[in-house]
Formats: sequence, structure tokens, C-alpha cells
Amino acid sequence: MSLDTNDLIRLEVNYRGIFQKTLAKHISTDVVYVAHSEGKTAFSNGRYSDDPQRNGVPCANFAYISKSLSEEDLEAEASAAMDIKEAELVIVLDDTMVKGLEPWGHYGIRPINEKVISGGTILFVSSRTPAELSKLFERKSFSYRIATIRGEASFSGLWYFRDDMTDVRVLGAIAKLNPGIASIESVLSYVKSKYKSDQKVEAARTAFEEVTVAEVTPEEGIVWPYPKPVLPGWKEFEEGTVVRAVKRGFSLGPRGQNRNTDFKRGTNRTQRPVVRFDICTKCTLCWASCPDEAFDPTKEGYYDVNYEYCTGCGRCADVCPVDDCIVMVNEMNLTSNESFYNQYLKNPSSYVEEIESIKGKERTIPEHITGKGNIVKRVEKPKAFKEVR
Amino acid sequence: MTEQRARNDDEFKDAGLYKGVHSVDLEEFYTSGHRTCQGCESALVMRGFAKVAGSRTVVTGATGCMYVANTSYMTTPWIVPWMHTQLAAGGASAVGMAAGIKALQRKGKIPKEKINVINFSGDLGAGDEGLGGISGALQTPYDLLIVIYDNESAANTDIQASGLTTWGAQTTFTPSGSKERIMQKRWKKNIAAMMAIGHPNVKYVATACATFPATDYLNKVKKALAAGGPTLLHTIDPCPKGWDYHPRYSNILGELAVKTGIFADYEIINGRVKYTYDLRKRERLPVKKYLEKQGRFSHFAEEDYDYVQSMVDEMWEEWELPGILPIKGGLSVERE
Amino acid sequence: MFEMEELMTGTDAVAHAVRLVDVDVFAAYPIRPYTGVMDRLARFVANGQLDAEYIIADGEHSQFEIGKHASSVGARAFVGSSGTGWLYAMEAIGVTATDRLPVVALVGNRALDDPGAFGVEHNDALLVRDLGWLIAWASTAQEALDNTLIAYRVGEDPRVRMPVAIAMDGGYLTHSEHLVKVPSKEAVKKFLPPYSLGDRVLHPDNPISIAPQANEDWVMEIRRQNYEAAKRSRGVIIDAYREYESVLGIHYDNPFIEELDVEDADVVLIGMGSASVVARSVVREMRNEGKRVGYLKLRWYRPFPSEEIRKSLKNVRSVGILDRNFAMGAPDNQAITSHDIKSSLYESTNHPIVTDFIAGLGGREISRKEIRKMFNLMESGRTEKVYWIGVRE
Repeated sequence: MSLDTNDLIRLEVNYRGIFQKTLAKHISTDVVYVAHSEGKTAFSNGRYSDDPQRNGVPCANFAYISKSLSEEDLEAEASAAMDIKEAELVIVLDDTMVKGLEPWGHYGIRPINEKVISGGTILFVSSRTPAELSKLFERKSFSYRIATIRGEASFSGLWYFRDDMTDVRVLGAIAKLNPGIASIESVLSYVKSKYKSDQKVEAARTAFEEVTVAEVTPEEGIVWPYPKPVLPGWKEFEEGTVVRAVKRGFSLGPRGQNRNTDFKRGTNRTQRPVVRFDICTKCTLCWASCPDEAFDPTKEGYYDVNYEYCTGCGRCADVCPVDDCIVMVNEMNLTSNESFYNQYLKNPSSYVEEIESIKGKERTIPEHITGKGNIVKRVEKPKAFKEVR
Repeated sequence: MTEQRARNDDEFKDAGLYKGVHSVDLEEFYTSGHRTCQGCESALVMRGFAKVAGSRTVVTGATGCMYVANTSYMTTPWIVPWMHTQLAAGGASAVGMAAGIKALQRKGKIPKEKINVINFSGDLGAGDEGLGGISGALQTPYDLLIVIYDNESAANTDIQASGLTTWGAQTTFTPSGSKERIMQKRWKKNIAAMMAIGHPNVKYVATACATFPATDYLNKVKKALAAGGPTLLHTIDPCPKGWDYHPRYSNILGELAVKTGIFADYEIINGRVKYTYDLRKRERLPVKKYLEKQGRFSHFAEEDYDYVQSMVDEMWEEWELPGILPIKGGLSVERE
Repeated sequence: MFEMEELMTGTDAVAHAVRLVDVDVFAAYPIRPYTGVMDRLARFVANGQLDAEYIIADGEHSQFEIGKHASSVGARAFVGSSGTGWLYAMEAIGVTATDRLPVVALVGNRALDDPGAFGVEHNDALLVRDLGWLIAWASTAQEALDNTLIAYRVGEDPRVRMPVAIAMDGGYLTHSEHLVKVPSKEAVKKFLPPYSLGDRVLHPDNPISIAPQANEDWVMEIRRQNYEAAKRSRGVIIDAYREYESVLGIHYDNPFIEELDVEDADVVLIGMGSASVVARSVVREMRNEGKRVGYLKLRWYRPFPSEEIRKSLKNVRSVGILDRNFAMGAPDNQAITSHDIKSSLYESTNHPIVTDFIAGLGGREISRKEIRKMFNLMESGRTEKVYWIGVRE
């Protein structure tokens, strides 16, 4: 007789490498303890091949819960592999991952909702509405749910960890979305005994009450544009661990530099640099300081960001000597990875107008130590468009 | 001093040194599509030497971040030929390639031309396990360059302390605890100078920061490749991941490492020292300005800052050669 | 066809072979007893008889890495070590195999420390038996020279591309001197094609990346490629011996094993290395006494000649293994070679009794008397699975 796995719950926590590592670990660990407090079998693991976690790289932790399975049966069923294929509940700690995940080379850019099963749920920590997010999903043949708890992605740091209660808020939401994992009562009593903080208990309860849930129907989402690479058989690739190098090639202008086409890194990005070419002084610093070789030098001496490869570190914005020339903008505010320089060339003034409206009036500047958060600066009036002759 | 500087620069007049940021070559030989961290400084070290060395180059990378992060199987960001080598084999890998190429060229099996041979090793590989191998390489007659990219931890493995980790830093091997605030009690090895002093045949040894001063690192690569024989470069690579700072600030941290004097920036050209950023003559910024911007020092008490400052002061004020030779001035001769 | 016949040690014989293949790079680090090969090669360089890059490494790890990387850029490379030095190089030995680079290395077999001991034991070479190295064992100086020339041809063959270890008994073969026929350079050139890695060579004209980091999606396929190469090496070895005979007139009945009176024997002793010389002498002696005994020498240990062994032992009642190695806590407490032989015989229709003789450890002599004792124990019906021969009780 085959194993009855009907009550198996697989939970995946998607997060950005290193600065969300501690946070993600809290969640997958806490879920196990809470479920265990209700007498369930549970355990957790992380995707081993994510280590070492590069910052920004999408990573995943997993937790598995069952009322009836033994620990051994649960492990055999759920996680003999290093990654899972399906999940009842998918959690996303940075909503920009909705644009796709590319944790390794030769893996392709995969949809965030890839593992959600029919009737399952995907939960975001996001200040966007479910509809804004689900329109970027890969279209599926079945219905499932999307849920959100309000908040920006929490980059709470590594050695210095800032507790912004995202961990317990996610726990509270989990109790609402899948009571099979644990009831809210169990969550609250666990949070109280672990943290001895009424504030954290309150945060978990509020998240439980306020989590927004919507249905995602088979019509929603997009046909996923990125192919999934095929893994070749042992006869089909070179022996001696040989891989062909990137072919040499360079010309001035957008996309003029040859790059590794089998591993693009753009989905590592939470923010992207947006350049005001009209006020650029062509100092070269952004290009010279880019650790992802993402800037293409142009004929006219500007540097155009290749957004397929930019990981959004912000070094260019930091070294740029011209105030407000390169600004980091939340990735969700932009869609195209096409050359911005080409758009600028087509119509400089309307390009400037458009990016200024996307940039808005707030500039978010991070503190040096990641977990210490951001400083928000207001810019009342954007710099006027400067015609370049 | 001016005379000596003129002499030093003169030695590299054929090296095609960059004169200002706009003269830097635009083409990349290490290109986008590597799994390095956002803001990674070491990636810029890779980018820089590949750019300067150009297409007629072979490279080995010792196990470490710049191996594991850079190449994910079936893909590579390298345009120049590249090969993995073991953690302790940085020096030997360069020797093997250089010797092989030299023999094949001499015997007419491959065309004669200058092929740059470069190995990069991280602080764990070069500073600890591979120290002997690099020493061995520096004793050979081959034209080769060893680049030690130093992000001050085994950042590839989980951020463990290496022999080049700054005193006091938190790493997974040296966590700050309730009984021991400071677990990293080893002072950083003075690796470039150690190698220069121990291998007097080596014509060029330098330290550098990939982004400060601008083009300095690139020109040091040029000089190293032009100097002939085995050469060594040691770069200080701020690491947003292991040092726990926002990836945006790699430039400022590199600059502060130099300006506070915790990392001495210099060249040793045929036995003559030339400070790139001479802190004997300039004001040194307080080292706290550098340390307080990193989460790995977030457990520091004032006395810890003071201690590091006192060690840096000693390095600049009392060493026979500041930042290089930790022998204190004046011979003491015992008399009857 | 031959340039000279000269009195030389086993390590000298290997040095001559390395000179004859016109090796491009060799790296040395001293440790007895293999080191004689490097002493001799250094003299060849000093006297202009060999045009190669000669590197005195800073340790065995670097030494083997130098060989590996020289091989990767297309240079024919030679290295070697013994005992604990071989173990110090172990990491480099592992990757040379997985990078599929046809470096040839001499292992002058030596006991592992501690205590420091110079004498022969086979554990050093046997430790790499599953890593992707081919291993040939020599029992005479002539065979050492032949094995080395053949090793380059087999290892460098595009169907194989694997490193090859030439093993020989330290203190015995490495140091005793015998007359060896040294082929001419022209003959060797005819036998051995130039080394070419083809489009796997690391050179600016062939931009490749070698050994990018792999996750669980790749390693198994890469291992499978290596496994197939090791399987293919059998056929390549057979071809190489045929060609060796046709060019140099040196004949081997079977590339993998050497049989003496095995065909109609009741009891057969199996071994390798210099003790084979003694064992063969005893077999001839006992045959004269009318005893149906035989000796089977293993020449190639990897690939392991299972088929040849099954065929050779198909009528044999009792088999003894001369194991010059130890395997603490191994199945039935028998040493290493026993297991490979027994494993081969599992697929056979004939299942002789297998008795393990642990002998000659740390360089202790294996005398005629002791070989005789082994045959006697096998003939009279053994009571133990393992006998320590020559140990003081």
C-alpha cells in the first residue's frame, strides 16, 4: 500500500541571499516548532546548493509538516532531493522576485509561482496589491491563492540584525492561510514564549487579521518568456570538465560587449540604477566601479546599463559625482530591460520626464550597515532637463 | 624622492600605463554573468587584471569566492582561458602553466609570443594553505603574476576567519559571545611585504585597492606583467556580504582602508619602496571611520577601536618601513 | 632500434623513458625511494640530454599541481613521489584525474609514516586506485621502462586522457641495478604520437573554462564520462602493447597479467612488484618437484584485469594473494588485493578458496622460503583466511 501523503504540507520560503538569511531561517525554524507544539511531525532544511549565499541571489528554505506521517516517511516523501518541485505554501520575502528567479547558471529564469500547486497559496511581504503582483506570474492551468502582508522587503542584516518583526508577521499570516500548519493560538503562544515580547505577539496577531487574500485564476499571468535550459546527458557535453569560454566581442554602444548568455543576473535586483544621461559628465566612475560589467560604453561617451545583467548593488549611484544623475529605483516600478540609452536617444526630454516620474520625490539611501535601514530624502524639484548639443 | 619616483616610473615607460580614467580600455575579458555578490569588489579585481592582460592570457583561479561564484557549471564569465586550481595550488598552477608554455615555445611546438600567466588566490588560499606554494612560485624564473584578492574571510564557505582577517572581526569561526566579545584575536598577516622581503629576486610586489586611487590597480597589473619574472599583487577587497555593509558602499570602504592606514598601499619595485598613498606625509583618518561602517565590527567597544588604532599607529609611526617592515628603528648592539 | 644496454636501477629506467618521450615539464621534490628518477633527470638536463622545464617544487602538493597545469596547457609532464609524500600530494592527485589530464607519475612504493620507514609497502599507490588513475606495476627495470613509455601512449590517447601511475617497489626495484635495453629516440617517436589535448588545451587560441563549480545537476554525468574512459582504457592498452612489439620487438604475452604455469595448476599465488621474481623462481623449483603450482603477476592494477583473472583461474582449486599492503578492519581482515581478486571471481563459474598472505611490509624481505610456505599452506588446506608471513610472533 502506498503512503498516504494527503496531509503533507510543503512550505517554501524565498528570500534574497545573506541579508535575508537570518530572517528566512527564523521563519522556517519557527514553523517547525509551532507545528511540533500541536503534536505534528515537522522538519526544515535549506537549499544546500544556495550556499554560499551571495547577497541578492535568490535562495530558498523549506519546512515540511504532517499530522500523520512519521518523521522518516516525511523526510523520504518531502526532501530526499536538494530542491522541491511543489509546495502548498510559498512565501516570498522580497516582492521583486516576482520578476523571476535565477539562482544558478544554466538554470534559466524561473517563475516565482512555479511550485505552487492547485489550491495552494503564495504569500508576499509587499506593499503592492495582489493584482499588481499576480499579473507578473506565469500563467497556470489551475486556480490558487495569492496573499500579501504589507511591508517592504526586510533586509535585516547578517552580523548586525535588526528585528522589524517580519518573522512573526509571516508566522501570523501562515496560521491564517494554512491552519493545517498551526492555529493562530499556537503561533501566539510560541511567539510569546520565544520572544517574551507583547509587541511581537501583537505583530503576529495583526498580520493574521490583516493578511489580504485573492484568487488567482487560470487566465491570470503571462506566458513565461524565459526558456528552461535542458540538462544534457553525459554523452552530450564535453569531457574533462571543459566549458567553452564566452566568445570575445566588443563594440561601442548598448549590448556591444559579449556576455555570458547562459547566466543573466538581473533577477538578483531589488533596485535598479536609472541614469539621467542629459546631466552625465562622462566621468567613467559608474562603469569603472560596476562589479557586474553591466555598463555598456556608448559612442558618445555615456554608459548605458544592461539591465539583463545589472544586479542592482548601487555602487554606480554612490560613486556618481553628479547629484541625482544615477538614482536607485525600486525594481517593481519598472518593467523593461531594454536599453534606456536608446530610449533617451529617441527623445531625450521625454525620457527624462518619464524617468523622473518613476523616480518620484523620495530617495532611499541605505545606512552603511545593512540592518540599520534607510534614510529617506525628499527631492522637491527634479533637475531640469538639460539639452545636450 | 622626486628623483626616485622619476626612476620608478621610467622603468615602466613601455608598460603602456593608463594616464587617467578615460584612457582605460573599454573591452572586457571577464564579463557579466557571474554569481558574485551585489557590490563585490573582488569581481572588479578579476575584471581589472583580465582587461589589462587582454586576450593573450591564461588564468587559474584557486578555490574560493572567485572560483565558486564566478563559474557555475556549463557557464562561465571568462573570455580568456581559465582553469580552476586547488586552494593551496595558486603558485604551483601558475608555475605549471608558465613552465609548460615556455617549454612548448622553446621546442617550437607552439608559436613564440608573450602569453600572460596569472593566478588569483583568495586570502584563505594564499594567506594560509597556499603560502608555501606562492613562495615556491616566487622563486622560479617564470613570468607569472599572483593576485591575492583579500576579502578577509573564507567568504565562499560561510565567512570564516582566515589568516588575513582583521583583528576583532566577527566571522562564523569568531562569533562575538557573552563571555568573549572578541574571538578573532589574530593580527592580519602582512602578506605582500612578507613575500617581497623573503624573495629578493622578485622585481615587483604591490598592494592595491581595485577602485582607489582610480586606475592605480590597473596600472599596477600592467607593471607587474611588464616587470618580468614572478610578481605579486595583494588587493584589499571590501566584501558586502562578510563585512555586512550595504553593497553600495564598497568604494568608500576600500578608500577608507587606505586612508585610515589599516591597509598600506605601496609598491616594491626592484627592492625600492614607493608608497601609493603615503600616510607618512598625509593625515591618517581615524580607523574607527572605517570599522564602524561594517556590521562585522558592530560588537566593538571603544577599547576595541582604540586597540586597533594603536596597532595602526605603531605600524605607521614605529616600524622601520611603515606598513611594510615591522622592525623598529635603530640597531641595538650589546656591549661588554 | 636500441641506443644502448646499460646497467641501471628501476628509477633510472623510468628516467630514460621520460627522456625518450621528450617530456616538456617535470617537477621534483625529494623523498626516498622514488627520488632517484629526479636525480637522474636533473643530470640529463644538466648535460643537455633532455630539453625540459625542470622545477624544484616547494612540496609534493605543488609538485603534482605543477604537473597537472603543465599538462593542461599541452605540455607532456612527469612527476612522482613515495609513501607519505604521495599522500601529501593526494589532493592534486585527485584533481589530475578528474580534470582528465594524462600526467605520468612514478610511485616508488614506500611504507606510510609513522614510524618513518623507507621500505616498500603498496598502500601508497593503492590509495589512488579508485580515483581515476591508471596504475601499472613493474617488477623489473626493463618493465619499468616499457611501462613508462606505454603509460604516456595510453594516458594521452584521446579515448582515455587519464593520468597513469608507474608503481615499483621501493628499495628493491628502485635501487637494484640490472641491464636494461634502452630504445632509440627514433623508435620511441614512432611508437608515441606527439601529446595533444586537442580542443581541451588551455591556450589563448582555444578559450575554454576548465572545471567550473558544479552543483548536483552535473557531477554524476561527469563521473560517468570518467568511468567510460576508464573502461575504454582496456582496449587502448591492448593496442599499445601490440604497437610496442611491432616497433620495438618487445613482446608481452598479455598486457595485463603475466602467467607462469597457471594453466594446469591446482594452486596459484597472485602478486605484483619485485616479489614476483622470487615467486616465479619458487614456482619453477616446485614444478621440478612435481607440484602443480603457478604464479600470476598483475601488471596493470587499474584497469583491473578481472576478465583475464577469471580466465586464468578457471580450473584452479586454491588461490593465494601476496599482499604487500594492509587494510585494517577490511572484510575478513584480508588486505587490498584479495578483495579485488575475490570480487572478480564472484562472477566466475569457478570459486577457488582464497587465502591472503600479508608479507613484506615496510620493506621486509619476501624470501623463497616464505613463498614456499605460502604454497605449502595452500596445498595442505588452509585453516585461516589470512596469514601474516614473516612477522615475528
